[in-house]
Amino acid sequence: MKFKAFLTDNGVNLLEKRFLPALDKMGRICHLYLTRDHAIFLHNLLNGDGIQSIAQFRKEALFDDYRISSQNDDRIAFSIDLSLLHRALRSIINIYTEFSGSHTGGGAGPTSSRLQIKLVKKLPPHSQQPMPFLTFETKGYRSAVIQDVPISKPLSRSDVLELQAALDMAQDLPRTLVQVPDMNQLQNFVDRMKHVGDLINVSISKYGDLHLQISTTLITLGAEFRKLLVIGEQAEVPVGDRDLSAQSRTQRAIQRGDAITVQVSVKHFAKSLQCHLAKPDCAFYGIAPEGACLTVIFQFFIPGLASMQTIVVLEVHFEFLICTF
Amino acid sequence: MSSSAIEPEAPDLVCQLDNVQGMVDALSSVRWKRHQDAVIELSEHGIVLIVEETSCLQAKVYLQRELFIRYEYSAQGRPRFGVSLGLFVDCLNTFSVPGRSNTIEIQYPGPDMQLLLKSVDSLDACIYSEIRTRIPDMISWDYNFEPAGSTPLSFTVKSAALKEAIDDLEWPGSSIQIILQPVPPSVTFRGEGHGDLQIDFMYYVNTDLLIAFHCDQEVSYRYKYKFLRATTSNIPSSVIKDNRGSKLTIGRGGMLKVQHLVSVARPSVSHPHIDSAGYQQPSRIAYIEFFVKPEEDVDTVNDS
Repeated sequence: MKFKAFLTDNGVNLLEKRFLPALDKMGRICHLYLTRDHAIFLHNLLNGDGIQSIAQFRKEALFDDYRISSQNDDRIAFSIDLSLLHRALRSIINIYTEFSGSHTGGGAGPTSSRLQIKLVKKLPPHSQQPMPFLTFETKGYRSAVIQDVPISKPLSRSDVLELQAALDMAQDLPRTLVQVPDMNQLQNFVDRMKHVGDLINVSISKYGDLHLQISTTLITLGAEFRKLLVIGEQAEVPVGDRDLSAQSRTQRAIQRGDAITVQVSVKHFAKSLQCHLAKPDCAFYGIAPEGACLTVIFQFFIPGLASMQTIVVLEVHFEFLICTF
Repeated sequence: MSSSAIEPEAPDLVCQLDNVQGMVDALSSVRWKRHQDAVIELSEHGIVLIVEETSCLQAKVYLQRELFIRYEYSAQGRPRFGVSLGLFVDCLNTFSVPGRSNTIEIQYPGPDMQLLLKSVDSLDACIYSEIRTRIPDMISWDYNFEPAGSTPLSFTVKSAALKEAIDDLEWPGSSIQIILQPVPPSVTFRGEGHGDLQIDFMYYVNTDLLIAFHCDQEVSYRYKYKFLRATTSNIPSSVIKDNRGSKLTIGRGGMLKVQHLVSVARPSVSHPHIDSAGYQQPSRIAYIEFFVKPEEDVDTVNDS
């Protein structure tokens, strides 16, 4: 079982500034799953408790000279503490930038010192048992730094299979996805909504409506965002429905089979919005087929490319409580 | 399907407000604990919200009709209903998006006697709410505030200074004595409990703190600290920022009236220079009043 790669400048930037802070908010411990083509951060995929989040990076998004081998079809997975990973990366970046700063104009060509990341087994101090680590190594101008981030034992073959199966299942995209244009506004709203109730109904229609509602015995509070961009199955709003209240429009859309409603915890919903920290290029909400879960998909494009090629997909799934078709 | 066709008659009130944050500020200023029941009274002059506590403290927020950009009142008499203040404020707060003007429409009653709120500034995004109302409780005692004598006993102090003084008195706690004396013209807050603390506002020394002062006889009353604190505990930051004053008046029997002014003016974000003429129109102020009963064991000599 071997893994060795060099983190690109862009990869360092993506992880340090955008993804690790956002993923850390989802939960401190996650699985890091490495395959021949992808590096994937996964939250709660095996125990299925709480929010599931999947951040899938194409290897080119983070690494160059990426080498992986294992007897399990070149797949390696382990769990890792994101805050430790973040700390290690931050500290090593100082040395790294010191070096690259003195070689400006050197271009992107391979230099003698780059930020290497690899899996190692080491004997930690005061221990007889070698332990697995994810190691960062860079040589600065005057110094070399090695950071060892402790990780779990690699997952067994059956656990990796299970992880892959859960991942495959999560790849089933909802039939209708709506794009939320202003995540700030949504986050602001949900943060304030938290005070009013614990459960939130989320409805998504083929007309491009996203309807959020909290309802308790004392109060109903909702927000409806209309005319959002729809990906997948879409439909025209029936003429008679245009001037109805948000609630009746959603109700009729559900009856017609044009919308699905799920109920999730407000806390989870607010947490998912933290992914916004990773500054995605766009965000989509959808409800998985059969109402299996509410899915949020954040897309990130390669910067500077005219054709918008996705480099990272971050998916968040919620377990739902009640689902209405 | 149009619901207006079924509706038997126009609702008692439909009004629109373009500064939700101002209303949140005004209502928050009478929110001194988590669960508070409020009574809302509607009239052709505006909306009054009343909260009280254990017959010793009452607060009123006056939202005059001039604060609203639209105010259509069509009720007979003065409809009253009860709501949970905390829920109402939290709910209103979701309508307020910072850095943007937010217009909401308030309607009472809805089909099931609810208080209905909805945002009306965007066609493609709408926030709405229905708050269940109650039949209001009786107001437990009469807060008829009468002047103590021929000249009013009152002083006006910078709201920030008043809040600071009352916050400082937390340490001695329990009961706070307020003394007004004509010579030298001054106001004293004195707390005795775990220790003694006395805070003096001298009229001629601190004219920028104590802005106005009227007193022709020495008076002294004691008030429960927690009630005094309720009058300033949630003064909105806009009041402090606008450098406003609060007026305190002592009426017959030592009843203390505390008045604050909270701006509900539309924030002039876009053109601060051009807008300076319309800056803080006086009509765009919400009036907040607290009535605090003095402690029973006070010597009533003052009043005879």
